[in-house]
Amino acid sequence: MKSFLAYRELLYNLTLKEVKVRYKNSFLGFLWSMVNPLMLLVVYYVAFGVIFRLRTEGMTRYEFYLLAGILPWNFLSLSVIQAVGSVVNNADLVKKVYFPREVLPLSYLCSSGFHFLLQEMVLLLFLLIFRVRITPWILAFPLLLLLQACFAAGLSLTLSAVNVFFRDVQHFTEIFLLAWFWMTPVVYPISFIFDSLPSWAAKIYLLNPMAHMMLLWQRIVYNSPVNGPKAAYLSPLGLVYTVALSLFLLAFGYWVFCRLEGKFAEFI
Amino acid sequence: MSGREIGAGVISAEPVLRLEGVGKCFRLYHDVNYSLKERIINWRKRGYELFWALKDVDLTVYRGETLSVIGPNGSGKSTLLRLMTGILKPNRGKIVTHGTIAALLELGAGFHPDLTGRENIYLNASILGLKRKQVDQIIDEIIDFSELGPFIDNQVKNYSSGMYVRLGFSIAINVNPDILLIDEVLAVGDASFQTKCIDRILRMQREGKTIVLVTHNADIAASISDRILWLERGEVKMLGDPREVSEAYLKAMRTRPEGSEFGTREIVIEEVEVLDGAGYPALKFSTGDAITIKMRFRAERKVEDPVFGFGIYDQMGLMVYGTNTRLLQVDIPWVEGPGTVEFQLPKLTLLDGRYYLSVAAHTRDGQVNYHWLDKLYFFDVQSPGRESGYLAMDCRVALRSGE
Repeated sequence: MKSFLAYRELLYNLTLKEVKVRYKNSFLGFLWSMVNPLMLLVVYYVAFGVIFRLRTEGMTRYEFYLLAGILPWNFLSLSVIQAVGSVVNNADLVKKVYFPREVLPLSYLCSSGFHFLLQEMVLLLFLLIFRVRITPWILAFPLLLLLQACFAAGLSLTLSAVNVFFRDVQHFTEIFLLAWFWMTPVVYPISFIFDSLPSWAAKIYLLNPMAHMMLLWQRIVYNSPVNGPKAAYLSPLGLVYTVALSLFLLAFGYWVFCRLEGKFAEFI
Repeated sequence: MSGREIGAGVISAEPVLRLEGVGKCFRLYHDVNYSLKERIINWRKRGYELFWALKDVDLTVYRGETLSVIGPNGSGKSTLLRLMTGILKPNRGKIVTHGTIAALLELGAGFHPDLTGRENIYLNASILGLKRKQVDQIIDEIIDFSELGPFIDNQVKNYSSGMYVRLGFSIAINVNPDILLIDEVLAVGDASFQTKCIDRILRMQREGKTIVLVTHNADIAASISDRILWLERGEVKMLGDPREVSEAYLKAMRTRPEGSEFGTREIVIEEVEVLDGAGYPALKFSTGDAITIKMRFRAERKVEDPVFGFGIYDQMGLMVYGTNTRLLQVDIPWVEGPGTVEFQLPKLTLLDGRYYLSVAAHTRDGQVNYHWLDKLYFFDVQSPGRESGYLAMDCRVALRSGE
C-alpha cells in the first residue's frame, strides 16, 4: 500500500496516456467520448421507445432516462473490459520493470472515469437546456461515483489477476457483461420487473448491486419520482447491501491481486 | 581501467543488496495449458517439470561498487537480476535491499508508439518511480543524452530502432537510482553510443552509485567492475577479483563452450581452434588479419564422401559467412581415424563485433549431420572504424567539382 501511494503519479501518467491515446489518430478525437453514448441512445431509443413504445408511468423523457443509465453502465463495462486484460496486455512491462501492478487495471478505471465525468457534464448541460428539473439528489453524485468506482475497482483487480492464469476470464467477462446489462434496469424501468416477475424472482433480481446503483443514478440525474412510486423504487436495505458488497469486493480484489501479483512475471 | 578495491575510495562496506540462500524455481510446462478446459482435462497430470534457475545463491552487493555478472546462456544471470528488482519472487531464501533500484532490463519497455518522445519520457520515468517534478529537472539531460533533439516531439512510432533504444537508455540512466541494474544493454546501439554509455557508467561509479551489470562480455566486465560474479547452472562458480574471474571464465569458455551440438557422431569434431596468421590460437582479430579455422576430427569407422564446413554468425544469430568443402569443390572420398581440416582465410573482411562460429561435418546432400557444433566458438573483430556494418569493402571516394 505504501509503495502504491508512492506510485500514484504513475497511475496518473498511465491514465493520462490512456486518455490521450484512445482517440488519437481519429478525426473526431475527443468527440467520440460523446458520440459513442449518443449512438447507443439512438439505438435503444428507436428500438424500445419507438418500436416497442416503451412508456410507463408517465415516462415522458425516455431519452434522459436512457442516458442516466447508459453512461454509468458504460463506465462500469468499459473499465472492467479494459482492466481484465490490462496485466496480460502489458506483459512487456510486467516482465521487465518492477512497479505495483495494480496501477495497470486501475489506470483503465481512471481513464473510463474521466470520460464518464465529461459525458455526465454534457448530460447535465442537456438537462438544463431541456428544463428537466434538477433535485438536491445531484449532491449525492460524488458519493455514488465513489461507490461505483470501489465496486469496479474490486471487480477489475480480481478479474485482471485471475486472467493471468486463466485467459478464459477475458472472454467470459464480455459475455457476462452483456447478460448483466439486461439484468439491470438501464433501458427498461424497474417497474417492469415488479410487474412481470413473481416477487421471489424480483428479490433475486435485486441481489444485483448494479440494479441499485442504476436506480440511484437515475434518481440523481433523471428525476424519476415524478414518474410514479415504482419507478422511484429505492430500498434502504438494498443500498446498505450494495455499499457493503462494493467495499468487500474492493478489499477482496486487492487481496487477490496482492496474493497473485508475485507470480505474474512468470506466467504471462 | 582496472578494478577498484572494496573499501577503498568511494566503495564502502555497507551492504545495499543482500541475497541469502536465494533459490528460484520455474515450472517448465510441456505444453502451456492456459484455458480452463485444458486444466480440467489435465487435472491430474503434472504437465511440468521443476527447473531450478538459481540454487542457493549468497551475495552481498556493497554501496558504491560495480558488480558484473557473467556466465553462459541459461546460467541464471537474468533471473538473478529480475529477483533483485522484485519482478520475480524467490522460492527460497530472501533478498534485502536498501535504496531505490532502477533496472535496465529492456530499453523502452512500456513506450507507447502513439505518444511523443517527450510524453514517453514522463511515462517511462514514472514507471521507474520518478515524480513529475523530478522528471522536469532531468528532462533536458535525457533529451540531450539521447541525441534525439528535434525528434523528441515526434511520435515514438516514427523512430528508428536505434533512436528507440537511445531514448530508453537515456531515461533509465538519468533516473539516477541508488542501485542500477543493467542487463546486456551495452550490446545495443552503435559504437559511439556504446562508448557514451560506458562513459556514463564510469561517471556513475565516480558518483558512488551501485551498479550490477549482466553481460556476456567478460572483457567489458573486467574493465569496468570491482568484482565479477560468475554464474554456472544457477550456482555461484566464482566471485571476486575481475581479472582473475574473467580470465578463468574465458579459459573455461574456450575449452568447454556453451551452446548446442548434435549429430550421429559417425565423425566427431573433437577440437576447434581459431588461429591467427602466425598459427597461434587467438580470440581477437583486426579487420584484414589472416584467420584460420582448424578442426580436429575422428571417424570411428570409415565414412565416405563427408563434407566439412563452417559458418560465422553475428550476435543476433544471422549468418554472415559460411562455406564448406563441397562448395569449395574439395572432394573428400573417405575419412577414417583422426584428421584435421583447416579453413584458411588470408584476409578477414569483417568489421567490429563479436562473431560466433559453427562447424559441422555432414553428408554430401546435407541430409545427415555427423556432428554439428552450433555457435560454440567465438572471436572478436576490431576495425579501424572507417566503416560500419558487417563487411570491410574497400571503399574509395571520388569527388569532382563542376558538372
